[in-house]
Amino acid sequence: MTDDRDSNGRQTDSNERQTESEATDQTSGTTDRTSETTDCTSETTDRAFRTDGMGAGTDAELKRGVLQRWIDSTISDPQKAYRAMFYVATLFFVVTTMFPFYWMLVVAVTEGSSYALVPSLTAVDVGSFREVFVRIEFARYMFNSLFLATVTTVLVLVLASLAGYVFGRLEFPGRRPLMLLILAISYFPPAAFFLPLFQLFTGNVFPWVELYNTPGALILPFSSLFMPLSIFILTTFYGQIPDGLEDAARVEGTTRLGALFRVIVPLSAPGVATAGVLTFIAVYNEFFFSFLMTDGGASDWAPIVGGLIQLQRAGQFEVTYSVMAAGSIIAVLPVTLLVVIAQEKIVSGLTSGALKE
Amino acid sequence: MATERPEGLSGQTGPYARFVRWMENLTETQFAYFLLTPALLLLGVVAFWPLLSTFRLSLFADNITGVGAVGEFVAFENYLAILSGERNALMPAPFLPETLTVGALFESALTVTLIFTVASVIFETLIGFGQALVLDQDFRGRRWVRVAIIIPWAIPIVVQGMIFYLFFAPDIGIFTGNSALSLQSLGLISGSPLQTPQDSALIVIVADIWKTTAFMALLILAGLQSVNRDLYDVAEVAGASPWQRFKLITLPVVLPTVLVAMLFRTIQAMRVYGIIEATNVGCNTLPSLSCLVVTSFFGGTRLVGTAATVAFLTAAIIGLVVTVYIVFYAREDVE
Repeated sequence: MTDDRDSNGRQTDSNERQTESEATDQTSGTTDRTSETTDCTSETTDRAFRTDGMGAGTDAELKRGVLQRWIDSTISDPQKAYRAMFYVATLFFVVTTMFPFYWMLVVAVTEGSSYALVPSLTAVDVGSFREVFVRIEFARYMFNSLFLATVTTVLVLVLASLAGYVFGRLEFPGRRPLMLLILAISYFPPAAFFLPLFQLFTGNVFPWVELYNTPGALILPFSSLFMPLSIFILTTFYGQIPDGLEDAARVEGTTRLGALFRVIVPLSAPGVATAGVLTFIAVYNEFFFSFLMTDGGASDWAPIVGGLIQLQRAGQFEVTYSVMAAGSIIAVLPVTLLVVIAQEKIVSGLTSGALKE
Repeated sequence: MATERPEGLSGQTGPYARFVRWMENLTETQFAYFLLTPALLLLGVVAFWPLLSTFRLSLFADNITGVGAVGEFVAFENYLAILSGERNALMPAPFLPETLTVGALFESALTVTLIFTVASVIFETLIGFGQALVLDQDFRGRRWVRVAIIIPWAIPIVVQGMIFYLFFAPDIGIFTGNSALSLQSLGLISGSPLQTPQDSALIVIVADIWKTTAFMALLILAGLQSVNRDLYDVAEVAGASPWQRFKLITLPVVLPTVLVAMLFRTIQAMRVYGIIEATNVGCNTLPSLSCLVVTSFFGGTRLVGTAATVAFLTAAIIGLVVTVYIVFYAREDVE
């Protein structure tokens, strides 16, 4: 019964709110909206009738179970079934995506190895969050990760801005084949680039090029792997700026590059931000090169991958599950923050990037 | 047009002014290629050269004992040896399964990768569709539900691996041992799931579904939002049930988007490597194609030629799958 009333109450509630907002819209006089409002109102009356009916049938209701009654009312009002399905589905998705994080938190704050689904507050021990900085050079790993991601993002944005300007605003022979060529890169698996790059960076191709265990060994592959997506996002955005604005700037006496960086790029700020956020997240999350292009030590410029794997593999000798979980939670914070702040950018970037290509 | 522009600079000399004047005098094509130079240079050195070089390496024999990276030129012999199974004795894992038993399927790189790809892409599409339908509704807290769904997509692979490692690690995992949610006591997984090929494949697939369904959901959501809402009203007036509305209006519009999303996920899933290492399953237990490249290269026996060949075979197989999608997509389009 409680269930029933609850969902019903919420329904009417939202309905009222909707009607209200529609009504305000109506006063603003859009003919379009008027029809919607009528729709909505009729729905409300519908629902009012139904509630009355239910009230009258209390006698019959008493004899039947909660489930049966719910099914009955659902049959007379299929909308309700869909709404219930919707809430169940939403709850299911939120729980399944969030539970792993919750579990990590449980592991991180539990001392010993007997975990309760809901740990009692007195048993909570946040020492592992301090411990992780002691066991490994966690701060340095975090710095490495953030540094690599930032430098790569800046490099990609500058190069992709130039390329995006060219592809989005200039007509020249070889435009389409070049775009396809760049697109082709994102199709190959990282493993297909890895062997020669590893040999190059370890000084086996030219003795004077030895980038292994330096930031370069990671920034270079990252930039080339993630640049195509940025180029395509920026091509779309730069292509949308009206020619007149660029011409005006040029008449004012700006150089060609000046027009790009002082007019086109600022006007496409959302696009640049989108490309930047996606590149940053991609680099921060990358595994293949991060894992293979360094020896994994903090002073080898290994990103957070190195630190967490080191903790995990050392587990045979000293089991430190809570420290592993604590480290993971801290490592997740920067990207989580980014998602909360920039979710619109991420959504638009992913969809436009993927669907345009 | 460009020549008359920088009048303010015409009187000046010095390297900057000269550079600007030089740049202003370029034709549009020259200017385009000038701006592309840095990007193409980087891509050339770090992407195109390695690709071609990998292909070249794949044409040379392995040099197990010698000094150089590879031995003599053998043309396509590596490809034949790997595909026919002749090379299996040397390789960390066979490329194709040696027999058609379930065990063998989970031990060879190609079938492991295909099982992973098919299972994860199918489930991601279905669950992603569900998530997209939820996000397509207008409700309070929609923004936060969307954040919740996107966050797994945005976390590092190593953390994703760590989560599932902690889920299934012996003794302490929530799904192992005597825990209330133990899959072991239900007999669904073996005693050491992270060391058993079938169980670890399941774990890695679930981990991938958990992380990347959001990508699918967002793309499908974009497709859903391009459906003309008026059509629903018309259908409702005409008496169509919600299922009919979904089947006759939503699905045809969204299907091309779904196919594109599946294509992208397939390309990514076929390169699976990180999650296998990060869950501590390891490439020995679950040898995917990318794994096989790495283990052949770094393994006890130095198989550089073989590793390069596997890398290119991986690319070729992905290419094959892409072609299948494109053919399918084109057919959908024609209809």
